Amino acid sequence: MIIAALLLVTQVVAQDPRLERLDPDTRSAVAAVADSANGVGLPVEPIIQRALEGATKGASGARIVAAVRRLAVDLGTARLTLGTSASAPELEAAVAALRAGATPQVLAHLRDVRRPPLTMALSVLADLVASGVPADSAGAAVLALAPQARDADLVDFRRAVERDIALGAPPGAATSVRLNAGALDVSSGSPYSGNPARPRRP
Amino acid sequence: MFEPGDETVERLIQHLRRPVAMDAGLDARVMREIAQASSPRRRVWPLPWSVAAAAAVLGAVLVARPWARNATSRADTLQFVLIAPQAASVSLVGDFNDWDPARSPMQTAHGIWATALRLAPGRYRYAFLVNGVEWRADPGAPAAKDDEFGTPSSVVTVGGRGS
Amino acid sequence: MGIDKVEPSDAELVRRVRTGDIGAYGALVSRYRDRLGRYAVHMIGDREDAEEALQDSFVRAYRSLARCDDPARFGAWLYGILVNRCRTTGARAARRRRLFVHDAQALSGAAHADQADRLDWTDAVDRALARLAPEYREAFLLKHVEDLEYDEISELTGAGVSALKMRVKRAREQLQKYLREAEHV
Repeated sequence: MIIAALLLVTQVVAQDPRLERLDPDTRSAVAAVADSANGVGLPVEPIIQRALEGATKGASGARIVAAVRRLAVDLGTARLTLGTSASAPELEAAVAALRAGATPQVLAHLRDVRRPPLTMALSVLADLVASGVPADSAGAAVLALAPQARDADLVDFRRAVERDIALGAPPGAATSVRLNAGALDVSSGSPYSGNPARPRRP
Repeated sequence: MFEPGDETVERLIQHLRRPVAMDAGLDARVMREIAQASSPRRRVWPLPWSVAAAAAVLGAVLVARPWARNATSRADTLQFVLIAPQAASVSLVGDFNDWDPARSPMQTAHGIWATALRLAPGRYRYAFLVNGVEWRADPGAPAAKDDEFGTPSSVVTVGGRGS
Repeated sequence: MGIDKVEPSDAELVRRVRTGDIGAYGALVSRYRDRLGRYAVHMIGDREDAEEALQDSFVRAYRSLARCDDPARFGAWLYGILVNRCRTTGARAARRRRLFVHDAQALSGAAHADQADRLDWTDAVDRALARLAPEYREAFLLKHVEDLEYDEISELTGAGVSALKMRVKRAREQLQKYLREAEHV
């Protein structure tokens, strides 16, 4: 029965019309990766999307297959760190954070201090590193904000740090400064809020 | 009139006269606020394109902001903007539309290309495809660092409930 | 990439906005954003507050465009709105947040020791400005940084020309004193 179900899933993935953009060999390889992922409870959609990205961008079949295999492995690592209850968006964001250099320990700690969903917190961590903030600084900052900050506050924090970096601030220092500036407002219930009375910007 | 001891103040003045670059996204925020006030009936979708023209700004600028939040849904409507006066066509392509350039062609007015999409919570990779051949990341959005296919991409994240 | 044509004048853009071409207002915003932003940043001392003041001023100017009597002097009229808006922002933000208000030129392309010097100088400038009374700072910036004439500043601020000259003189004296104190620390 289980084998039949797995075969059925393989067929479903292979018959996904979106994959027709791939040549037959690549389509088959991608379907196999997706099937394996699904077999261990990992989301399939990110794998499909990565293959479609490669197809649209004209990447070779080999490159597409390498990318989806790497993604499947990383999704597995993310799931080991966040736990089996992690959603697909959380796992994708966790992959980005891990690839950016965040350690599994940081992700596990985040899981412990913040109510789900963790998607935005993980994304902000990855995006800060993409801006040049050292991974450990980004991790420390997000962990400090995570217990109380809303998703929108984390996004504001990231934008503020990026703006300071664009103006020439060293990325690590920019993160510390913004974090310390926000720490003063913990009592207001919003760890990062330059002025609690100011209407939120669009 | 120059006096001894004024050197310090003159140096300060020259320092203060240096150009200060403001956030180019401010233009779009101003125009959007004006548009909201100008519309006879407050609309969420689509954005009036004549108002979307922040104009006279060279280079690519992104505004990817929640345009409105539906209180009964977890999805957000996000607006994507690219300023590309020389482009003949621009498509928004990403994880949210199966990387299909035909799904989200962008509309233009005065060289400003824009479209809006409703997105469920998640993290999405995307890019702009200009004239069907040139991939451009969104300069106003975080970069997608794991760029496995040799072209630039950006990332947008939509938070879940409580964001 | 560039736009290869003659830029329309302020008066022309205002005329277009008044006939319904809201997009023409975007050109005015782009034209004045950085220049007015410079004043707002130095006057208010906080980048975010300055951007908010600037955004509010542009929106306010659009809504009251009918009251711009001389569209050819739209810039000066807009300045007046911004000057008033900056006054209501209130006390300067915590100095810590000003550390990275500076333009990129102040911090780029220098050796490490030079960079530290520039940061010290920039910080000294910011602190000195912050210590000025708001009306002194306002007059000083409008005269020496924004290059306005005294009669223009008088029109914007409502103060008389001789009062403004006194404020600018006091501002220069105090800034000199504060900067010298900073050099000897």
